[in-house]
Amino acid sequence: MTIEELNASKVPIIVFDKKLEQFKDKVLFPEKLAKAKEILSKGGLPQRKNKITDNKTWQ
Amino acid sequence: MNKPKYFYRSEPFLTVYEFTSEGPKGSIKKMVQFTDTGTENIYNLAFGDYDEKTKEINDLAVTNNGDSLKVLATVASTVYAFTKKYPNVWIVATGSTNVRTRLYRMGITNNLAEIKEDFDVYAFTFEGNWEEFIVGEDYEAFLITRKDNNFTL
Repeated sequence: MTIEELNASKVPIIVFDKKLEQFKDKVLFPEKLAKAKEILSKGGLPQRKNKITDNKTWQ
Repeated sequence: MNKPKYFYRSEPFLTVYEFTSEGPKGSIKKMVQFTDTGTENIYNLAFGDYDEKTKEINDLAVTNNGDSLKVLATVASTVYAFTKKYPNVWIVATGSTNVRTRLYRMGITNNLAEIKEDFDVYAFTFEGNWEEFIVGEDYEAFLITRKDNNFTL
């Protein structure tokens, strides 16, 4: 994939790296996670309008 | 988003990503993580600089590497990858500082039309409510989900 193709794509080809598995079960950003939990405890999730979905496929 | 972005690496679950910012300050490794919040199908999105010597993340660093838009586009791209694998998730994001939160708001504002083609975008007001993202308003946090996600609490 060229850099031009990458930039034109919303979902690029992802290179897997076994080294990154070491982070999978670690919380790398504990303060942000705590803040997110606090906000969710206060606000829950927003109400959504009834939706009509199209079956568009991402590039 | 169809903007310049960096190549990145991930692990098979697509919860952790790594890429390298290139600019006048040199090569700076960045990490992106989607973390389970403990609430079903809601994940926290966070990213920051990774120091390979100390093995620590710094999400307060002001890198000034001249590529903040490219970094944001890369992070946005990980959202597409993550939600393609997990289409029922909601993703919450907050900045580590008010300045950083405003940067995220600008990033959403500048790409809102394109983002809204695929996602519903909400923002958390300082009054403690979620509302649909409004350009020009100041917010505490952001929440997005795919338009075709019908999961709710």
